[in-house]
Amino acid sequence: MRWNRFLIIFGIASGICVQAMISGVAPEQQLTVYTAQTTYSLPVVEREGKPYIGLADLLAPLGAGAPQLKGKEWRVQLNKSEARLAEGKDKAIIQGTQFDLEGKVRVEDQRVLVPMAAALPLLSRLLNVSIDFHQPSRRLFVGNILARFSASFKDGDTPSLTLTFSQPVDPDADRGEDRSGVLFTHSDHTTLIFRKEPVISETSKQEFGNGAIQSMTFSEENGKAVLTVTGNAHLNIVRSDDRKTITLQPATPAASASPAAQAVPATDSQHRGQEFFVMIDAGHGGYDKGANFGGKLLEKDVTLRLARDLRKELEERGIPSRMLRDSDVDVPMERRAEITNEQRAGIYVALHAGGPGHGVRVYTPLLADPQQATGRFLPWDSAQVAALDRSKAAGQAIASELRKKGMDVATLGIPIRPLNNLVVPAIAVELAPEGDDLQSLGSSKRNAGIVSAIATGITQVRGQIGARP
Amino acid sequence: MIPRHFQITIGLVLLAILISGLVIIRLTHREEDMAMHASDNAPVVPVVAGKQEHIQVLVAYDEDQALRWRTADVFLPADRGLRAKETLRAVLAQYLQSPSPHPLAQGSDIRDVYFIGNDTLVVDTTAQFADGHPSGILLEEMTLASMIESLTANVPGISKVKFLVDGRERETLAGHADLMSFYQTNAVHELAKEFE
Repeated sequence: MRWNRFLIIFGIASGICVQAMISGVAPEQQLTVYTAQTTYSLPVVEREGKPYIGLADLLAPLGAGAPQLKGKEWRVQLNKSEARLAEGKDKAIIQGTQFDLEGKVRVEDQRVLVPMAAALPLLSRLLNVSIDFHQPSRRLFVGNILARFSASFKDGDTPSLTLTFSQPVDPDADRGEDRSGVLFTHSDHTTLIFRKEPVISETSKQEFGNGAIQSMTFSEENGKAVLTVTGNAHLNIVRSDDRKTITLQPATPAASASPAAQAVPATDSQHRGQEFFVMIDAGHGGYDKGANFGGKLLEKDVTLRLARDLRKELEERGIPSRMLRDSDVDVPMERRAEITNEQRAGIYVALHAGGPGHGVRVYTPLLADPQQATGRFLPWDSAQVAALDRSKAAGQAIASELRKKGMDVATLGIPIRPLNNLVVPAIAVELAPEGDDLQSLGSSKRNAGIVSAIATGITQVRGQIGARP
Repeated sequence: MIPRHFQITIGLVLLAILISGLVIIRLTHREEDMAMHASDNAPVVPVVAGKQEHIQVLVAYDEDQALRWRTADVFLPADRGLRAKETLRAVLAQYLQSPSPHPLAQGSDIRDVYFIGNDTLVVDTTAQFADGHPSGILLEEMTLASMIESLTANVPGISKVKFLVDGRERETLAGHADLMSFYQTNAVHELAKEFE
């Protein structure tokens, strides 16, 4: 009898343990803030049943200094506006006016925590802009930056669903088998996750009624937007070059009729067959201004101009290219690497400008002690290892072409981001001013020679670097 | 009887003298404040314990884009951590002097260093070190290479170095040089040889 009771208790305890293991750890809660310049996420913690966020986490990405303790008040400045908060109080004074924070200010290890709801008055008053705060899904939009989309369904033997967005988007799919922007997904649903884009929709569900594409639902949760398309087929996700249009269609015409035959793996031969293109990365952008040349010229502007010149030069030679940024926006370093890897660029070229000295410097990645790949995964810090020789070959070819144009060129292996995180050949080119003439960085004539040499160098090694191991 | 125009002139002259005096007092105070502030930011304070040693530090020279070994006199304690900290401060002192071969912002300093095991060193720098660092791939890499090479020359056994800024991780030094990864000292040695 006693043994029976023991077995029952043991069984219940085991069941609870197994359930806990199956359910896994709950994903970390986060608040995502979308601004015209950048998108960032910050952790949300729970205190006394309320969601709280770090004051510095919220304001620092927007350019605010760290909160300073003066007497009993914590003060933080942003855009010449000041907010004053006190531990244990549920009111803040922003620009001389008192606001309700909807909960008490907490201080933990010199870290000021405020209720998540306080993000609304804090940002709207400090930035003096309108804020759209979707509290349940923890998405906060600063200014008029919302990205909307329309869905167009085409029926027939090969049905397709075309999503057209008001601004470029780069959603992740819930299964990352990627080849040149084409992702194979689950056989009964396809999920697009928008982590960085301020995508919203007034419609939560649309029905289409076809076997392969039956319905589309839009939801917002934990700081991101999710679009789920259900049906009975694997869908290809094809993105347009301007990243404003995404088309979903069955992987093969037969797929919708025979779900069992749908698994079409992305093979290496398919990777090899894709189009070669140059990924041009204009360094810096948005809040990240890069080097400041005498207060009149910023590195982010020099690199963007040079990137556009390089794109034009490559186009004239019939070499396709894509730009990681084509406006004054902040693209996080890791995202630059992710996009380049996802899209399987033929070569990545980062453009920078800065002193000291003169001439042009061509950098290739530097890997000291590359970690070995584990299974299908590559170590992030040494993802470049398989492409390193091709990166060096490209760097040498470009340096040689620059020298032919009479430029003073230095080549160096160097550990700058994100070169080591890229799985494709990668180089960085840095222009230095000609002597004390900082304006030479904006010289059309000089830049024409530089982009011409880069394009010629890429043309020469294209066959060599385009081949994947 | 003093003429009216003479009275006005005298009044204006007295007013000008008063204003000039106030301006001079204000400028004097500002000068004193700046002098006090500069001394607050002085990067190198010899440690009390330890003996003075001639050490070799690798110094960046912007003008010719080179790194060169130089001798510095530093009070070095026996403790490896303190030794590493003082070595790095000796490098920064080269850059904070005037004229500087590789100017860094005033207030650039080492807050602390921590060993993880015997071979990995975490260097915590002041915010001014990164916030005020000139931006540029070469400029940033020269700073880090000179610091890491000087460390390995004076504190044997370090194979990896990681930099923090004001106690936190930062993506880059000033927009370019990677501060997220651990620097392998043997790779930096190869890089430094290209600059020498």
